[in-house]
Amino acid sequence: MFVEGKEALNPAQKRLKAAVHYTVGRLCEEVALDKEMQFSKQTIAAISELTFRQCENFAKDLEMFARHAKRSTINTEDVKLLARRSNSLLKYITEKSDEIAQCNLERKARKKKKSEDGNKSSRETAEAEAVDSED
Amino acid sequence: MADFYNSDSEPTTRTLLRRVLDTADSRTPRRLRSAGAGAQRALLETPSSRRLNSGTKTTAKQHSHGARSIGRLAHFQVSGNLEEQTPRTLLKNILLTAPESSILMPETVVKPVPALQVVQPSRKESSRGSLELQLPEFEPPTTLAAGLPAPSRKKQRLRLSVFQQEVDQGLPHSQEHPGNADASSLTSSLNLSFATPLQPQSVKRPGLARRPPLRRAVDVGALLQDLRDDSLASAPSGDSLKTPIATLPTDTVLEDTQPFSQPLVGCSPSVHHFLPHPFPTGTEDAERAMGHGTQSSGPGLQNHKIIEAEDSQGTVEAEEPEGSSEDENTSDRPAELAASTPEFLQAKQLHPIPETAPPPGVAVLSSETLEPASARLPRKPRTAGSRPRQDSYKAGLNHYIKLFSFYAKMPMERKAFEMVEKCLDKYFQQLCNDLEVFAAHAGRKTVRPEDLELLMRRQGLITDQVSLYVLVERHLPLEYRQLLIPCAFSGNSVFPAL
Repeated sequence: MFVEGKEALNPAQKRLKAAVHYTVGRLCEEVALDKEMQFSKQTIAAISELTFRQCENFAKDLEMFARHAKRSTINTEDVKLLARRSNSLLKYITEKSDEIAQCNLERKARKKKKSEDGNKSSRETAEAEAVDSED
Repeated sequence: MADFYNSDSEPTTRTLLRRVLDTADSRTPRRLRSAGAGAQRALLETPSSRRLNSGTKTTAKQHSHGARSIGRLAHFQVSGNLEEQTPRTLLKNILLTAPESSILMPETVVKPVPALQVVQPSRKESSRGSLELQLPEFEPPTTLAAGLPAPSRKKQRLRLSVFQQEVDQGLPHSQEHPGNADASSLTSSLNLSFATPLQPQSVKRPGLARRPPLRRAVDVGALLQDLRDDSLASAPSGDSLKTPIATLPTDTVLEDTQPFSQPLVGCSPSVHHFLPHPFPTGTEDAERAMGHGTQSSGPGLQNHKIIEAEDSQGTVEAEEPEGSSEDENTSDRPAELAASTPEFLQAKQLHPIPETAPPPGVAVLSSETLEPASARLPRKPRTAGSRPRQDSYKAGLNHYIKLFSFYAKMPMERKAFEMVEKCLDKYFQQLCNDLEVFAAHAGRKTVRPEDLELLMRRQGLITDQVSLYVLVERHLPLEYRQLLIPCAFSGNSVFPAL
């Protein structure tokens, strides 16, 4: 029951799932050290499976949101919409997104000031977009 | 209860059937079933006592549609020609099984049966064995018992005694009104093929007679009412809203067709704005109302969904009250729509009021009201007028709670009711919140069907396999379906005119 589902995935997905499982294991280790309580293997496997499936749901929801806003790119707005259920999470994400937006702006302003060259600015905008899409 | 009937009727029936079986009928049965039917018919006519008649009817009943055939083949001689194994075997099986299931149909089964083919398979079924006959016998009582409302066992026993009385009454009734069978007998025979035909009807009627209309009345009505009240509450004119709401029930209860003469001040301007929205909007909302059931945090909503799913026959009352309360669209929609909501408010306590408003209009009205109500939420702050909203909102929730308790089939504590109300409250608030956010996410201030569809998709009601139209077809009554899904009717205009 804890190892289910891996067989139906293609190799890339399996690797992804294994990576998630590994990360969850590391995080659980830290929490275990912090709270002085042990995590059983099944727990970690359950958490990682849960995370993986929830990520699938998130992806679908994000796509739906983006399409609902008649966009073809997933935006920070979509992510915020996704996280609105949990207030603390929403706050955290909003703060982070503001930080990132601010960083981008600063970087843009700085780099535009530095170089008037068209190539450089285009490169920066590409980077900025990449950073934005990472949000 | 079958016993005492059996004691009286069984011997006679048996005797008669034996006689029939033994007599060699001169007439050649042109149809296999007619022979058997003729035998039964002879049995029907021969016994003079009512019991006999009922007994034969029982046996005929056991043949599901055989009873129908009896009347038709009345003029045929007793199936002396029992060379065909089927009739004889069937009759023998009747003899074997007659005592077990002697419950009689209230309506006389003496009706010409057009479909002999139906008789034939039914007889074959009976010939297969008494086991089959026994099984359905057991089923109806249990289903009936399950279907009874929450009352305790004591009440259930009472109901059974009532049923017994009705069975007694049913026999004479059936004797007196031979011609009443018609569709009722057909349908009942269809439903109760080898089992207790009388029982379900008599038991169902007292217990659940008033329920279905109520159930209908709640589903969309309450939701729309709640939303409308929410919007109304948020509207600046809180007091004026209260009065229309209060007066609506009294006014519109009796006047089904009268247009909603008291348009809510706060709502009307915003409402007209949304009038152009086509039915699909309303559909979404109506669907959403039904969608609630599946994913509600409160079990009451789940029961709601069940109710919705089960009640394929929509009582338009539910929609109508909604429409009338929402009113706002009276200018464009047929006047009858107005009657809904106030009626709905009262429908909970009153008996179903015969609705004259055409269901399509009602659905449109209800749906449209839902949309403007939800659409206005983003615009107006929710702080204002929370109290007037509370009363009618709670009234709507109470109806859901009653539904919940009905489907719980057991008594509920007051605390349980409170919790259910809390859950429902949270659920609906979250729902409206989501709709508002979705609309804002798309850069709009109006909640549109797409928002609702997105919500239902997140709820898991709409998937790639199941589209909104599928849900509409599944759960909405025909009148509303016609609105939401354009169907071409011969000679009629197509609704909705998108």
